[in-house]
Amino acid sequence: MPTIRVTGLHVRHRKTVALDALDLDFGPGVHGLLGPNGAGKTSLIRVLATVAEPSGGRVEILGENTGEQRRRGTVRRQLGYLPQEFGYYPGFTVREFVAYVAWLKEMRTADAPAAVERAVGRVGLADRIDTKVRTLSGGMVRRVGIAQAIVNDPRVLLFDEPTAGLDPEQRVEFRELLRELGASATVIVSTHLVEDVAAACTEVTLVDAGRVAWRGTPGSLAALGESAGAAGSAGDNAIERGYTAALRAHRDSGRPQTLEGTAR
Amino acid sequence: MTGWHTSDDLVTRYTDGSLPEPDAWSLEKHLESCGDCAARVSQAVRETAAGVTLAEVREAVLGAAPTTSPASASASLSRSQSRSRRRLPFPSVGSRTARVLWAAGPAVRGAWLPAVLLVAFGAVALAYGADFDAARPLLLAVAPVVPVVGVALSYGAHADPLHEITAATPSAGLRLMLTRTAAVLAVSLPLLTLAGLLLPASGAPAAAAWLLPGLTLTLASLALAGYTGFRTATAVTGGGWLCAVLAPALTARGGLTARLADQLSAYLDGAPAQGAWAAAAVLCAALLATRRRAYDRLERR
Repeated sequence: MPTIRVTGLHVRHRKTVALDALDLDFGPGVHGLLGPNGAGKTSLIRVLATVAEPSGGRVEILGENTGEQRRRGTVRRQLGYLPQEFGYYPGFTVREFVAYVAWLKEMRTADAPAAVERAVGRVGLADRIDTKVRTLSGGMVRRVGIAQAIVNDPRVLLFDEPTAGLDPEQRVEFRELLRELGASATVIVSTHLVEDVAAACTEVTLVDAGRVAWRGTPGSLAALGESAGAAGSAGDNAIERGYTAALRAHRDSGRPQTLEGTAR
Repeated sequence: MTGWHTSDDLVTRYTDGSLPEPDAWSLEKHLESCGDCAARVSQAVRETAAGVTLAEVREAVLGAAPTTSPASASASLSRSQSRSRRRLPFPSVGSRTARVLWAAGPAVRGAWLPAVLLVAFGAVALAYGADFDAARPLLLAVAPVVPVVGVALSYGAHADPLHEITAATPSAGLRLMLTRTAAVLAVSLPLLTLAGLLLPASGAPAAAAWLLPGLTLTLASLALAGYTGFRTATAVTGGGWLCAVLAPALTARGGLTARLADQLSAYLDGAPAQGAWAAAAVLCAALLATRRRAYDRLERR
């Protein structure tokens, strides 16, 4: 049973088409969203986060149509969203920032304090919880962003470039957290780092020029890379070669390709 | 509490990993509440190979975090420990005042509040410090714009650094916008009216005469924002008011103070003027109510 169902999604920014007749299903697990810059990854995440309005199509999250205002609140209560860029109020500490988002998410006052500490602990900032956000490094601010996203134990999590600014060790820890979250929630991670996908994702969706170029498991993308290696696809490892091979095949054919039985 | 405790056999099988998982879970559950059994199991685990590794990990973690307190060191040792960690007192979330301040949003926390104070105290200081007789008319001319500016700084992608995160929460939309507007009005209405009362009249309308226009302009800004966004809406209403008041006063002949006072009297004095403002306020409120859905996803990029 998919938790997110996207049908005929169309998103336009002024005159350029960001997403074009997109059909996608996502179930529980960690889904990697790969693609070149400007492919439409952020547009898709923002529509799923109910922040941006699609110009056409239908988005159903947890069985609710997000096009209906009354249903949107129900969805938003079970949503976690880490934008690519976000700001914070200068005076806020980590605890206040995450607690403020917990308040915005209409969490019960009695549950919020413990949930805030738990979320901050899960991103490894327990010892900085009473530090001002503005004094933290870029990587730490991103982890605060991850903490606010997971504070309400959401059933749907949307991370836009979550590993940007994290050092290699923090990325490894974050992937561990992703796997943990993916055990119960539907987690969608947009990234341009192929190794994130290989390590943490159960499924990969390749987006190119507003369309789905390829879908499958990281394993099958690597397998595609192995077979494409002989054909001279660029990339330093199998999954990178798979990425370039899938993109090239998609651009050559002009039609979406799906490996049967791999998409959930 | 039952009298049941873990047997030596159970402890041995738990430490060497041969205990079936469901039994291990129930044992762990018991350990959470029974200190004696927990101590026995810890002792047994410490004597195994895992105990050595655990000690090493513990040392490495404590070594890597020299400045942290014991509580945070244990938190980074294991997530499950941090979960069961004693909850710290948490005054900033629970208290009602903090929540109200949070609701108030960016304007009341940011540069707007000092600006309001500056207008209020500046007017009083001008009147009494510099014997400036146009203080009351000037204050009345500026006052309706103050809450409008507050609204402009309260909501939307341009004003709220948290907007992208806020927009994905159930609080987003008309309700949060109205909460923040209410905070802006709660600060500016009493403060500026009080300042006006302290000033010499200089032929200008009463100090409270701006309240209804101020409210109306604020509501009009909100209503217009549903079509154009907050920046344009507040520029139109606030700028429109200032032009309507200042332009005739500046172009006409005679003393500036008198002209300004006359102009303000025309807009603010008397039942018909105030009635018109009230009618406009009701109209804007009605428009807001019917178009409440427009505020849910206001900013499109």
